Amino acid sequence: MADERPRWREDFPVRWDEDNYMTRRELAKFLTLGSGLLASVNLLIAFIGLTGRTPAPPVRRIAAADEVAPGGSLLFRYPTDDDPCILVRDAAGRLDAFSQVCTHLSCAVVHRPGDDVLACPCHKGSFSAREGLPLAGPPTRRLPRIVIERRGADLVATGVEV
Amino acid sequence: METRQQGSILFSAILVLIALLVVIQLWLVAAALDALVSRQFAVLVPTAAASGALFMLSGGLLWYVVSYDARLRQWGPRA
Repeated sequence: MADERPRWREDFPVRWDEDNYMTRRELAKFLTLGSGLLASVNLLIAFIGLTGRTPAPPVRRIAAADEVAPGGSLLFRYPTDDDPCILVRDAAGRLDAFSQVCTHLSCAVVHRPGDDVLACPCHKGSFSAREGLPLAGPPTRRLPRIVIERRGADLVATGVEV
Repeated sequence: METRQQGSILFSAILVLIALLVVIQLWLVAAALDALVSRQFAVLVPTAAASGALFMLSGGLLWYVVSYDARLRQWGPRA
């Protein structure tokens, strides 16, 4: 059987197995370098979080106080026009407002009046319509609560509680 | 046991420890990103501080093992 090794290998005898060999010392240095990179990423995230905060949310009128019937709901947008929210009034007349964006994969939650539940139709997640806490399905974080106040005959949103 | 063999075991142990610290840092980065997205800003500074402390610990361990190795090379193995 003929030798299948190409001739150039004799002229350039590179030992790839040795060339690719990594010593424990090199691995330790590589891991420590990775540790430094991860620490830098964490610092960068903290910097972005601390400097990129949005200003205080505005005070915005949502609806008239009697616009939502008991057991009903109303969609609105707060704090910007890109943030859909839902106002829910239970049978006893209590008002609660939450972000309409599911904390799982950002689908819009809808109100199921009979169960006092905010349901996400995408993956069958559901949240309590009183507290915004996840009840079932994939979501693990609560819905951000929109702080609402009654001012005269109007309901106004004054903030967001994450 | 020879000092060189002790050093080898020590090196392996420190290597495993550094790897463990890096895994914890990966978890911290994931937690910080999660907190950033969910706007829980109070979590960000402690995670960054913890990650920095773990990096210092990793660096300290590496420095210790490298200096140990250098001492060993300078003075030679002792029985």
